[in-house]
Amino acid sequence: MNEDKNYNMPWLCDKCKRELVLKKVKVRYLEGNFEVDLPKCPECNMVFIDEEMAVGKMLEVEKELEGK
Amino acid sequence: MDLDKLLETSDSCIHDEPPACTSCCPVHMDVIAFVGEMEKGDFDKAYKVMEKRVPFARIIGSICDHPCEKVCVRSDSGGTVKISELEKAAVSYGFSPPKNTIPLSKSKGRVAVIGGGISGMTAAFELDKKGYQVTLYEKSDRLGGRIWDYEGIALKKEVIEEEIAALVKQGIKTELNTLINKKRLEELAGEYDAVYLGTGVWEEELKIHPETFQVGDTSVFAGGKLANNNDSVIFSASSGRRAAASVDRYVKKISLSASREREGSFETPLKYETEGIEPVEAIGKASDIYSEDEAIGEAGRCLKCRCRKCIESCSHLTRFNISPKSYMRQINQNERIILGTHYANKMINSCTMCGLCREECFKGISMKAVIKETRESMVRRGKMPVSDHDFALKDMKFSNSKYFSMVRNQGEKAEYLFYPGCQLPASYPEYIGKIYKYLVSNMSGGAGIYLGCCGAPADWAGRQDLMQENIEIIKKTWEDTGRPVFILACSSCCSVFEKYLPEIAFVSLWEIFARKGLPQNNRISGKRVLSVHDACATRHNKEIHDSIRRIATLSGYEIQELKYSKEKTKCCGYGGLVYFANREQSADFVKHRIEESDNDLLVYCAMCKDLLAEGGKRTFHILDLIFAEDMERAALRKMPTLSERHGNRAQVKIGLLREIWGEEPDMDYEKQRDFKLIIPENVRQQMEDRYILSEDMAEVIDSSRKSGERFFNPQENSCLARLRLDNVTYWVKYEEKDEKILVKSVYSHRMEIVEE
Ligand code: SF4
Ligand code: SF4
Ligand code: SF4
Ligand SMILES: [Zn+2]
Repeated sequence: MNEDKNYNMPWLCDKCKRELVLKKVKVRYLEGNFEVDLPKCPECNMVFIDEEMAVGKMLEVEKELEGK
Repeated sequence: MDLDKLLETSDSCIHDEPPACTSCCPVHMDVIAFVGEMEKGDFDKAYKVMEKRVPFARIIGSICDHPCEKVCVRSDSGGTVKISELEKAAVSYGFSPPKNTIPLSKSKGRVAVIGGGISGMTAAFELDKKGYQVTLYEKSDRLGGRIWDYEGIALKKEVIEEEIAALVKQGIKTELNTLINKKRLEELAGEYDAVYLGTGVWEEELKIHPETFQVGDTSVFAGGKLANNNDSVIFSASSGRRAAASVDRYVKKISLSASREREGSFETPLKYETEGIEPVEAIGKASDIYSEDEAIGEAGRCLKCRCRKCIESCSHLTRFNISPKSYMRQINQNERIILGTHYANKMINSCTMCGLCREECFKGISMKAVIKETRESMVRRGKMPVSDHDFALKDMKFSNSKYFSMVRNQGEKAEYLFYPGCQLPASYPEYIGKIYKYLVSNMSGGAGIYLGCCGAPADWAGRQDLMQENIEIIKKTWEDTGRPVFILACSSCCSVFEKYLPEIAFVSLWEIFARKGLPQNNRISGKRVLSVHDACATRHNKEIHDSIRRIATLSGYEIQELKYSKEKTKCCGYGGLVYFANREQSADFVKHRIEESDNDLLVYCAMCKDLLAEGGKRTFHILDLIFAEDMERAALRKMPTLSERHGNRAQVKIGLLREIWGEEPDMDYEKQRDFKLIIPENVRQQMEDRYILSEDMAEVIDSSRKSGERFFNPQENSCLARLRLDNVTYWVKYEEKDEKILVKSVYSHRMEIVEE
C-alpha cells in the first residue's frame, strides 16, 4: 500500500484538517469494478476527484462500460 | 426485436442497386467507377475498371454496340452519356498490356470450343483461365471472326493480331481450317468433357437454354449468334462467358441454374429520380475519338445514379455517411452481440426519429420506426447507455411532479382542457396565462388547464414502462375531468395523443386561433416575409400546417415555403433526444436547416425555436406573432438554461394558481438557503454542457456547509464538495464570501467511489 503523501496536492480535508494521501480506492460502475490510486483523507476516507479526471478518464470509462 | 423482419427491410433498400447502364450491360461494366476515374483524368485506372468486366477490352471497348446507352437516365437531360465513346478514349489513353501471369496447370478437364469469333474466343479465354485444357476449332485460316470487319475502321490490324496472339500464347490449342459438322460434333462431345459451339450458324435448329446455354441435356453448350439471334458484339461476348461458367458447373457436376438471376442484361430495381436535374448537353468530339479533355467533360455528365434520397435530406444519415440498408445491418449486428462493445449505440441514439426518410423513400422505409423498435429492445435487454437519456427522463419526472403538474377546471366541468405540454411553459412562461385567459373567454363550454409532460421523452428513449405509466395518468385525469377535449400546443404532444390516446379528442391551439381570431392586434405594417419550419412530429397534420399559415397571414406576414416543409419538413435537432445524446449531431440539424433560407423562420414548437435561435437564426414562435411586445427581441431570444426551464415551469404553476384560482401553492420550489449563489458565465456554460442544474448545485453546497464534508485549498481559498444525488455524483468548487457563494466550477461523474 502506498502511504506516500501527495506533495503537489494543495487540497486538505476541511473536516479533519489532514493532508491527503494517495491510496488504492474501489470504484464501480455498471458491471465494472476497479481499483485506482486516488488522493483521500487518511482519517475520514473522503476521496478527492478533480475535474480533469471526472470529465476525462472517468467519463471515457463510463461510456465504454455503457457500450458493453 | 424481429431481426428477420429488419433484414428483410434492409434488403428492400435499393441503395446498393446498380445503375440502369450497368445492369443493362450484358457484362455489367461498372460504369460509375469507370467514369469516376475518367473524370479525375486517370485513364489508366479507367481502363483497368473496364478490363475487369469487358473481355478483350482493347477490342470490345472499341466496337461495343453499347446497349447501356439506350437506358441511360441522363437521356432526357441533355442526352445519354456516351459510354461507348468514353470506352474508346480509355482504350486510346489508358491501355497497357496485361502483366504476364504464370500459366495455371490445365487439370480441370478438356473442352472443345468450336468457332473462333467473339463468343468462341471469350469462352476459350474464360475456360482457359478456369484451368481447362481448351482446343479451339476454326473453319477459316485465322481467329477473330467478325472482329475483322472492323479492321481499318475502328480497329488497327496490329491490335487485332496482338490480342489473338496473346490468347494463343496462354496455351490454347488452335485447329484452324477445320470445319466441324453435326457428325464431327457428336464425336467431339464424346472425346471432350464438354463442347462450346459458337459458330454463328448451324445445320439444324438447336434447343438452347436461355440462361445456361446448354443444348438440350447434352454436354454441348451454344452461345453467340446461335443463342442471341442478333449481331450484338457485347451480347456475343457475354454469352461466351456465361456458357463458360455453365461448362465449369457441368464438369464439376453442380447445379447449372442455381443463383444466376442477375447474369446478363437485367432491369435494375433502382429508380433514380430525374426531377430537378440540370440538363447538360453531350460533349461533341473534334475528331474520331474524344480528346482527353473532351472525355473528362463527358464523364462529368454522368449522374452516378444511386439512391441516396433519404441520405441527402437527413443530417443524421449524412453525418454517419450511411444508407438505411447498411444501417439496418449494423443494428442487426448490434442486437446480436452479447459480450463486447455495441458500436452502433451512438448512431442509434443520434437519429431524431423525425420520419423524413420515410417521406423521401419511394419504398417507404422508415428509420424512425426501426430506431424506435431498436431503442425499446436495447432498454429491455439492459443495453441502453444510461447517460444518453438520463437527464431528459429526470426532466420529465420533474414536469410530472408537484413542482409543475396540476389540473384545474373552470367551474364544475369544462368542455375543454388546455394542455400546454412541458417545453412551452419552460421556454415561454409569460404566454401561458395569456393563452389560458384567451381560451376562457373564447371557448363556450369553458376550459380548464392541465400541466404536465405527455411522455414524449420516455417514448424517444425507448422507455415503454414509463410511457405506459404516464399514459394511464393522463387517461385518468381525462376521465376525472369529465372527458374534455384537449387543447394541445405542442406537436410532440399531438403525436403522442394520436398514437397512445386515440380515445381523447384534441384540437390544436393553432386551429383555435386561426378559427376564432387573434386576441390582440399585433398586425405588422409593410410586407415582412417568413419561412415556416414545420414541426416534424406533426408532419402529416394538415390542419396545423394551414392554421399556422393563416395566423401568419392574419398578422400581416407573407410566407415563402422552404424546400423541406409540411409533410417533408426537417427536424430542428431536438427530436429523439439527440440534443442530449449527441450534441454535435443536433448542431448539424440546426446548421443544415438554417442554411436552407435567408428568411426569418416561423416555428410552432418551443424546442424548434430554442435550437434554431441558439444556432443564431432569427426565429419567431407563432406565439410571438400573437403576444410578443418587442418583435426584435423575440427574434433572437436565446433558450433559457436547463435550470431556468425548471424554474419557469414552477413559476407558471405558481402564477396561475395565485392569479386565477387565488390559491397558495403547497410547494417549496425555491428552498430557503442561507446563501446566495453567484454563477459566472463560464460556469453557466459548464452547467449546460454537463447537464448540471443550479438546484442540484445548491444542494451540494448546502450539504457540505452543514456536514463540513469538503476539501479546502488554502492557496486559492476554495472549497470543493461532492454529493451523490440519485445515480450521479456532483462536485462543486466554490468560494465563500459572507452569505454569497461564488461558484468556480462544477462537474459530475456516474461512477461510484467506495469511501472506506
Ligand atoms: S447517368 Fe451515368 S450512371 Fe446513370 S445511367 Fe447514365 S451512365 Fe449510367
Ligand atoms: S428518422 Fe429522421 S433523423 Fe432518423 S434517419 Fe430518418 S430522416 Fe434521419
Ligand atoms: S430512399 Fe433511402 S431507404 Fe429508401 S431505397 Fe433509397 S437509400 Fe434506401
Ligand atoms: Zn477527513
